[in-house]
Amino acid sequence: MRKYLTVFAVDWQNQFIYRLNFVLWRVRNILRLLMTYFLWRGVFNTNVSVFGYSQNQMLTYVFLVLLVQTLVTSAPSSDNIGGEIGNGELSNYLVKPVSYIGYWFTRDLSSKLLNIIFASVELTLLWLVFQPELQIPVHLLAFVVSCILAVFIFYFLNIATRFVSFWTPENTWGLSFLVIILIETLAGGIFPLDILPHWTNVALQFTPFPYLIYYPIAIFLGKITGIYLLRILFQSLLYCAIMYYFAQIIWRRGLKVYASEGR
Amino acid sequence: MGQKNQLWWDLPAIESFILNKEIYEVPDAQYKKTLDELVELLDVKDILKVQVRKLSLGQRMKMELIAALIHSPKILFLDEPTIGLDVVMQKKMRDFIREYNKRFNATVILTSHYMDDVKELCQRVIIIDKGKLIFDGALDEIIKKYADHKLITVVFSKNNVELSDLEKLGEVKSFEPPKAVISVKRASAPRVAARILEDFSVADINLEEPQIEDIIREVFTGKDFA
Repeated sequence: MRKYLTVFAVDWQNQFIYRLNFVLWRVRNILRLLMTYFLWRGVFNTNVSVFGYSQNQMLTYVFLVLLVQTLVTSAPSSDNIGGEIGNGELSNYLVKPVSYIGYWFTRDLSSKLLNIIFASVELTLLWLVFQPELQIPVHLLAFVVSCILAVFIFYFLNIATRFVSFWTPENTWGLSFLVIILIETLAGGIFPLDILPHWTNVALQFTPFPYLIYYPIAIFLGKITGIYLLRILFQSLLYCAIMYYFAQIIWRRGLKVYASEGR
Repeated sequence: MGQKNQLWWDLPAIESFILNKEIYEVPDAQYKKTLDELVELLDVKDILKVQVRKLSLGQRMKMELIAALIHSPKILFLDEPTIGLDVVMQKKMRDFIREYNKRFNATVILTSHYMDDVKELCQRVIIIDKGKLIFDGALDEIIKKYADHKLITVVFSKNNVELSDLEKLGEVKSFEPPKAVISVKRASAPRVAARILEDFSVADINLEEPQIEDIIREVFTGKDFA
């Protein structure tokens, strides 16, 4: 455990090296929030309720996307794992008494903490500027639990995708973009998923995506309650386990074909 | 044992050492002792807190070594430890490897393109060619086993020597008057040398083993040599 705390501490320091990069990354996130915020504001100018959402609910959704998406998808692992496998740097970790999967999870956590601190400050400032009426949480505890599960689901899904580099050592940029787009749309990062036709929504729960952003926020807003809430939490847990085993299997198979000649 | 490039590029090397200490679960006291010894051996006290990206290649190589040695490994695999270093640094690196081997009683297995590394450091040499072991033993044994010739280098004091005269003595490797290099059978070397001294006026004569590089090259190409 202590070794992972040290990984956390070292990564934490490392994050302050690229300050400009970090600030620009945060600016990008704020700009995206502003775009969706004003879009929905415009829509609610002429409507009282859209797709079953009141203005308060929708604006809360937009604010929460920034928070949940920052928490779940802040992951330096996604920029590094593919490269490390491709160029053989993975060997550095394999020879040490440290778990590669645990190592990158720890570094992700360090990044999440820093990003969440910034996201909280940004949201407070934006709230002070625009003074929107927001919805108070309905199931705060369930929201927190589903967020934590989402972090794990995302991590395992993410590394499983990166492990494709074992078989295609070239930079898997195309794949990365595909995953980013899938996560942003299918997870509910751009709009709440229940504005889609009902059957799409039902079908999506059989993919890991809505568990990352949409369900946690829907729980917060009270769109998911009672037995349905328990079922969604249970399914989140199930996805956690499935994605974990999925990532493990790919990791083990990948290690069998892994080579780092000349390193 | 880690590999090159395990240091955190943007942080001082000391941070990477601390991380490795924790990963290998080295006790504090032992860590401090080992670090002090390594820092002293490599003379890097004043650059421990400099960002790795700002170090020179040689300095970084030293830091990589410390990072790899902080848990006192019993076996050390070094792949080209002196590559790309200037001659002064190469010598320091060699001295360090020898010293580490003695002080920590560690086995060092190294590969190198520089025969100087091998000559200075290795008690036992293993030559592998296309996956097959072709030699395993002490360095002098290679010379005995493969070099059945010696090289005689002569500098004549008069310019009246003909190539044909020398060719009677042995294989002439080079002839640039007044200097000639002749390869002769090991057993007949003293006799040939005596004859040269007798028949010609000689300014300088030198009897030597073929260069270790040449021998190894010949071992690989499978030709007779010297």
